[in-house]
This record gives sequence, C-alpha cells and structure tokens, in this order.
Amino acid sequence: MRDAKRGYLSQRQSAWLLLVPFLATYALFLVYPFFRGVWISLHDWNLLAVAFNPDAREFIGLRNYQRVMWGQNIQWGFAAPLLQGLGLIGLALAVFLRRMDRLSRFNAIALGVVSLLLVVLPGFHPGEGGRWYDRRFWPTVGNTLVFVGFTVPGVTIAALLLAAGLNRETRAMGILRTLFFLSQVLSVTVVTLIWQIMFSPRQGLIANITEVAGGTPINWLTDQQFAMAAIVIATIWWSLGIAMILFLAGLQDISKEIYEAAALDNARGARAFWFITLPNLRRTIMLVVVLQIILHFQVFGQSHLMTQGGPNDTTQVLVRYIYQTGFRDSELGRASAMAVFLFVIMGAFSVIQFVVGREKDQ
Amino acid sequence: MNRSYTWLVIGLSIPAFIWLVPTLWMLSLSFQPNEVLARTTSSTAFGLIPLPFTADNYAALFTFGQTPWWFLNSLIVSLGMTLGVLAVSTTAGYALARLDFPFKRVITVVCVIGLMVPEQAVFIPLYTMFADFGWHNSYHALILPRMAVPIGVFLMLQFFQAIPRDIEEAARLDGVGWLQIFWHVMLPLARPAMMTLAILTFLYAWNDYLWPLVSAQQREYFTITLGLASIQSNFAQSEGLGRVMASGVIASLPVVILFLIFQRYVVKAMTAGGSKG
Amino acid sequence: MKHVLLTAAAAATFATGAAAQEVTLGRFFGACEDAGTDTTTSVGEPCIIQSIINAADAELDGIDINTLPTDWGNYYDQIKAAFAGGTPPDVFVMHRHRIPEFAGIGALSEISDDLASVGIDSSDWSENALEAVSYEGGIYGVPMDFHANLWHVNMDLMDEAGLVDDNGAPILPSSPEELMDHARMVEEATGQDYLAADFAQFPIGVRLVLALMWQQDANIFTEEGTATINTEEAANAVTAITQLFEAGYANPQLNYADSQQAFLNGEAAVLVNGTWVVDFYDAQAADPDVALSNYYAADFPTLFDTGATWADSHMWAIPSTLEGETRDAALQVLAFINDHNIDWARTGHMAVRNSVVESAAYTSLPHRDEYSGTAAIARDTPPSERYGAIQDVLNRELQAIWLTDKPVEDALADAELEVQDLLDR
Repeated sequence: MRDAKRGYLSQRQSAWLLLVPFLATYALFLVYPFFRGVWISLHDWNLLAVAFNPDAREFIGLRNYQRVMWGQNIQWGFAAPLLQGLGLIGLALAVFLRRMDRLSRFNAIALGVVSLLLVVLPGFHPGEGGRWYDRRFWPTVGNTLVFVGFTVPGVTIAALLLAAGLNRETRAMGILRTLFFLSQVLSVTVVTLIWQIMFSPRQGLIANITEVAGGTPINWLTDQQFAMAAIVIATIWWSLGIAMILFLAGLQDISKEIYEAAALDNARGARAFWFITLPNLRRTIMLVVVLQIILHFQVFGQSHLMTQGGPNDTTQVLVRYIYQTGFRDSELGRASAMAVFLFVIMGAFSVIQFVVGREKDQ
Repeated sequence: MNRSYTWLVIGLSIPAFIWLVPTLWMLSLSFQPNEVLARTTSSTAFGLIPLPFTADNYAALFTFGQTPWWFLNSLIVSLGMTLGVLAVSTTAGYALARLDFPFKRVITVVCVIGLMVPEQAVFIPLYTMFADFGWHNSYHALILPRMAVPIGVFLMLQFFQAIPRDIEEAARLDGVGWLQIFWHVMLPLARPAMMTLAILTFLYAWNDYLWPLVSAQQREYFTITLGLASIQSNFAQSEGLGRVMASGVIASLPVVILFLIFQRYVVKAMTAGGSKG
Repeated sequence: MKHVLLTAAAAATFATGAAAQEVTLGRFFGACEDAGTDTTTSVGEPCIIQSIINAADAELDGIDINTLPTDWGNYYDQIKAAFAGGTPPDVFVMHRHRIPEFAGIGALSEISDDLASVGIDSSDWSENALEAVSYEGGIYGVPMDFHANLWHVNMDLMDEAGLVDDNGAPILPSSPEELMDHARMVEEATGQDYLAADFAQFPIGVRLVLALMWQQDANIFTEEGTATINTEEAANAVTAITQLFEAGYANPQLNYADSQQAFLNGEAAVLVNGTWVVDFYDAQAADPDVALSNYYAADFPTLFDTGATWADSHMWAIPSTLEGETRDAALQVLAFINDHNIDWARTGHMAVRNSVVESAAYTSLPHRDEYSGTAAIARDTPPSERYGAIQDVLNRELQAIWLTDKPVEDALADAELEVQDLLDR
C-alpha cells in the first residue's frame, strides 16, 4: 500500500518485472526448443528438404528412437561377462556394505543403480541373424563413456594432488597455480591446434623427443590404441584448472587446527592427506566429479578437430554423432532422438549433482 | 621457509613446467619461418627456442589475416553474452530469493528442471528455430541462446538468500521501493557473485564451438574458435605452421592477459562460487 | 589491442563502404590470404582459386565478391546449414557427386538458358564435363575441372630400385603380385617405403580400393541401389593393398599431411594423391632443401583388367533462391571462372573446355604429358544422395582393416550392411 502511494511498484509487481527478462529468454530459448526437439525427434525430418518445403516432414512416432537404439532380434543375456560380472559384484557389495552400515543410504542406492545398469545394459545383443539398426550408436555411447571414464578421474586426481601441494599462500605457490590454471583459459580450438601438432609423428614435440631418446614416434592420432589417450591427455591438460581451484577452495574450509592436532599424532604429509584432507573434502570431490562428468559427456571439439572421430570410429563421441547425423546426413529427426537420449543421461547426472549439493545443507 | 617447503616448490615446478611446454611451443613456433618448419620443428632446443627467428608470421596475419576480425567478434559475443546473463540472472535471482509472489515455488522448480538441459541437447531445435526467424549469421544469434542458462539464476539466488534480512528491512522502513532496494542496496552487495558469474560466462562464451559452428557461416560472424577450427581443417593446404600458430597466439593472448591482470579476482571469485556450490 | 581494433575498423569500412552488388562466394580448397589478382603466377589450389576470385572482384564492374570462410572439414555441413538458414552463398563450389543431393531437393538454380547471356559457351565443354553438371536434363552448374588420383613418383628412388624404363618413365606394376615385387625392390635398394597415402583420415585409401574394384568391373553398389561390397573383387582390391602393410612396404597410419611429408622427404617412392598437388610437388622438387628432387606424375596403374582411377569434378553453382541483380552478378562470376579454366588447370587438374585442352598453353604445363591417360580411365561411384555418408562407412571399415586388424570379410560384410541401410533410407 505504502508503495502505491509513493508511486512505487508493489512487491508482486516488482517481482514479475524483475522476472520477465529471464522467463522470456528461458521460455523462448530453452523450454520451447526442448519440446520442439522432442517434437522433431518424432518426425522424418530432412534438414535441406524441409528448408525448401516445410511440408516435407513426416510424423513417424517413435521410429527414430527405434532405428537409433534398437535392432532386429535383440536378445538379453550374459553377452559381456566382464562388465556384467563387475555389475553383479557391485550389487552384492552395495547390499552387503549397506547391511554392515558402512555405506550411507544415498551411496548404497547410487552404487546399486550403477551396478544394476552395468548388469542390464551390456546384456542386450543381437541374436542369431539379428542386428542393431544403427550399428554406430551404442559404440559411440561407449566411446563417450570411455572418454569420461579416463578424463574425469585423471582431472580429479591430478587436480586434487596439485591443490594439496599448492595450498599455501606464498608467492611461489601463487605463480605455480597460475601456470597450472593458464591452459584453462585457452579456447578449445587453440587446445586442439597445439595438441594436434604436439602429437604429430613428424612435426610433433613428443615425436621429436622420442626420436632423440632413440624410440620410434607413435602415430598418436591415427593409432587406435592411442587416439583416445591423446584426446584424454589434451583434455586433462586443458581442464585441470577449474577443478584445482575448486579443490583449493575446499581445502581452505578445513581448519588449521585439525592439521595441528593431527601433527601431534604424527600424521603429516601423505598420512595427513589420506586421513584428514580426503575425508574432509568428500563433498567437494563429489561435486567436482559430477560437474566434470556433465561437462565431458558433452565433448565435441577435441574429437571433431583432432581425430575426426577416427581411426575407425574409436574416438567418435555422442555429440559429434548428433552433429554429423543432423548436418552431414541432414537427418534432423534421428539426430534429435539422440539429443533426447543425451538429455536423459545428463538429466540423471544433474539429479545426482542436485542431491549431492543438498546433502551438505542438511 | 623450511627445507621441505623448498623441495615442494621444486617438486611442483617440474610438472608446472611440463604444463607450460605446449603453450611455450606454440609461441616459439609462431616466431619461426614457415620454410624451416616445413622441414623440422625442432631447430633449437626441440623448437622451444625460436631460432631461426622471424616476426613475419605476425606481420602477415595483421596485413591479410582475418584473425583480428574473428577476435573482435569473439569479444563482442562474449561480452554481450556476459552482460545479458548478468542482467537476466541478477534480476531473476533477486526476485526468487527475496520477494514474495504467487507461483514462486512453481517457477523455482521449473528453473531447477532447466538445469538438466545441456546446450548440446537443444542445439538442433534452436538451429531450426533461428532458421525460421532468419536470424542466423548475426551477433544476436550467437548471443541469445546462451542467455537463458538457469545456472546463473541459481548462483545469484543462493547469493541473495545469504544476505541478512535486516538490510532490506531497514530500507523498507525508510520507505524505499523494492526495485530501488534491488538497484541501490542489493546490486552493490552482489558484486563478487556477479564477478564470478561474469568470468564463468565469459570463458564459456569464448570457448563455445558447436553453436557458432552451426549458426555462423559467414566470416563476418566467425568467432575466434570457429576461425581457428577452419584453419586447422585446412592444415595441409594452409600457409604454414608458423602462421597457424601465430593465429593461435593472437587468439589466446587477450584472454591470457585478462586472466593475468584479474587473476586474484578470478581465483577469489571462483573460490567463492565453488564453495557456495 | 589498438592495432587489432584499427584493423577491424578498416575491415568494416572495407566490407560496407562500396555500393556495388555484393556476391558472397563459398568455396573450400583452403585459405590463401595474400593471393593478389595475378591469375597467371599463383601456385597451389588455394592461391590460384583466390587469385581468380580476386581478379573477378577487381575486373567485373559493379561486383564485389565476398569470399566466405574456406574451411574444408565442415564445408558441406556449413553449406547445408546456410541453405536451411536461408542464407546460402550466391556462388559456391561443389563436387559433381553432390548434385543428386542438392539439385534433387531443389536447392540449385537451373542455368541452362542463362549461360549464353553471360558468354559461357557450353558446347566448348567436353562431353563428360557437361554430363557432370547435368541433372535430369538441365544444367545446374559450371564445371571447373576433372580431378583424379595419380601416382606421384619419386624418380630417384625408383631409379635406385631399377624401376625406370628407357624413356625415363617409371615402371609401374600391372598386377597385385608385381606390386609386391616392386615394393620389395624399392625396399631392398633404398630401405624406403614403396607407397604412401592418407589411409588414416581423409578417404584417399577408399579411393584406392574403389579404383581397384572398378579395375575388376565391380562397384560398391548398383544403379538400382543394391550394395555389393562383400564380394571377391572387393576382397582382392583390399588385399592388394594390405599385403604392402603386412610386408612393411607402406604405413597405414599416416594422414594427409604426414604422407605428403613422407613423400617430400624421400621416404616413399610413390604417393597416391590427387591431381591437385602436381604443381605444388613440382615446385617442391625444384627446392634444393626438399629431399624430393626428381618428380613424375603418373597415371594410376592398372593392376587388374581395365584401367580405372577415382575421379570427380569441381563445379560452381548458384542457389535456386537467387533472383534479380544478384543472380545476374553471380552468373557473371561463373563466366569469369569459366574464362580462367587454363589458370585453374595449372594446379594439375584436367581442364573441362575443349579449347583449353587443345591449347599449347595447356599441353605444355609441367608433367601434363605424363598423366595424359588419366582422363580416359576416370571413374566414380553411381550417383547417390548419400554419397558423403557412404564414403564415411567405407572409410571407417577400411581403416578398421588396416589400422585395427579387423578381418577383411567382417569389415566388407559390415560395410555392405551399412551402405545398404543408407541406400534404403
């Protein structure tokens, strides 16, 4: 009431006014495109054809999903004993540790779900005379998982160790931190530019050093055993910085007294790191891991520019496949179906991130 | 300082140097003549020292190159996106954190769900949408789609929630309107959080590759990421390694300098952002 | 920083200052930023084409040409994206194999009736060239060249291995067995590889295998759309090459730049690559710092029954959406490029205009007489809207064979399945 008298907006009016810019952009550039993407994924939709004739699309229901993810005569069984065995062990471990009360409920559920997926998903395989309709899709998802599986632990462990070492407010440490963080500000294309040449078997620095040391240079980017490793190395080099900074922040929250008390018990150096630093950083570590998973699952530039997905598709990743299907093959419907799949995976990790984030607040 | 500290510094300097080598190498190659590089990239100290030396690559870039132009585009797009995200996120974050209004919970939940949508999952529908509007090949096409990131709203929301109520109430008792409180009281307080958000957004915008790749086909709107990518895919046919590396250096120099100047701020801001989660 | 802004400001005034008709031009071939306007002295694909474009920009009254980025890797993706976004370039280069895809959808403008008005004489084009730009009876572009795979030969290495005949031409194999013999001779005499090519990224290896299949009168799919890859002919073609890898006479892990570098460094007697590099290698051979000094550009040898080598054609098209003055200006640019067919042929490509092919200027181009047989054996796969995706399947499966030791039959069977899927889609 007072507001109206003075010519001010009421609380409600102010709120809406402040919210409108966000809500408008949000609705227009995120909510609407999202549903439009789902809608496109239900169509046979050729990029070029539809551009010239908007009626050239055809509603085909869930066929795109079927063509991308399913196949003829797909059966379930123990087709991948290693992964599925690992999953079974994980399941057993989850139940056992939970009963022994060594695992929090959340962790037990997380481990259980991951293990269950490990048991179920690799079990699908084409039976006699059967085949996947799209033989590249699942291997591509697999490659993406491998990339994430190497990059995330690599970044996390390296960043954690560095952060632990650099956690002092001195000039030298400040300079070292800067050096480690520097590569983070480079753009993805500069990173791929540098590493493409670094890895080159003729012009590359790595090859030059190998040759002087008497070895034969490796064809990093075209050898199927090394191509993925090359991309992972470049990515770790590039994206270590933010993880390190987050860890440094986490370390500063651990009070000095704990360390001093531990020092009295003769826990210094590695022991202190193991028994004090790690447990106290648990939440930060989880956060960094989940953030990295979300980030690296969307990898595109490194694969697209350094290896073009090769050799023999070993570095083909999901986002690049979506891009190719949409823009090289003009099949927007199929590409959108894959994008929806990507969303589902990302969504699952986001939920985990959200839950992890809330755990602290309780 | 004690001895173990000295050893720690030395021990960490080695990986730090290794970390720096790729960047140094790019810098060094950019100062070597293309004819030499075509034969060998390890003239002096594995090529880490630019001997034989030449600055021709840079001269050529500034005479003929599009790199400065691409660089300017990146700057416009990144700054535009940063300002946009800041404007949209601070206002919405404040409203959701401090004001009472109907459907507040619903809107908050809808935003939470939006957090789960990665850009790569919506770039195709966005592409067709912008095509329908005839918006491709423009600065707004490069800037707008990334303005609606809910993560910014959440960062600001969390920040505003942590500010004590009394500040606001004191102003209310003095009869100040809500918008005035936001502008005169809250915004100045929010500067560190805004800095965090600005830095994160700027880095993100500067590095974005997929969206500019599908949206910009005319070189007037090429960002530096796109420009460098196009140079790379022409490797075998391009003007030579030295020139390519010089482009890379030009593309990186500004962000690196910005980072070095604002370093304390960047790290502090990220620390604040990180521990707030 | 100040410098950057100044340059950018200068670029801005340059781009917007002129009132002339602006024509946007899309091309690949790579960047050449200081090409100048002299079309007769530039070297290499990027610089020759850019000098022609620059000359058109300077000489055509009232026309301003704006060359779009020259990115190779994403070229067709970008052209499609531009079409779909309603902003296709006014003039753009493409391969003949893309015509079914683009013309079939109505993206290209039919220019049959406009050629004469800008002074393009289509009767001067060779029969093959006319066919290359035709689709369902109409002309959809201006052909610029034929390009094909050649065997680029280091004559010094061949000489050491005793593989040069009395006329000074290289002795090339005429059967897969002979290929192995020659490779062994080179290895024993020089210690170098016999053959290099990009088997690891760009589909040069695919084109090699295709040529060897055509030489047996086989193809990867029929005109009716049946994939025929898992065949004896395909297996023969593949093993003709893999035997070299197994014996260590060739390295499948080299990509385009590395294989080229190996050849220039004198580490391989033969490089399989296109006509587009003839002038470049010729120039390199003249450079005393480059190991390659005695260069020969040979026709792709016939290892089986009939001669065949992979070939394609570059052509220039304009989008169907173009109208009025822009379209007229675009046609003039096409005519200008057509007039400079001889300059483009300097790259090593084969000209498309009879008057050029017969000219002394053309026949006296370096190495031209060495691969004069190539025009007669040029081949390509049947037209398909999915050319790009099919090439990609073949590239992956062939890479699987030589880079990851996938059994030949498995790879060919998988390739056949996938190509059939693409043809059926």
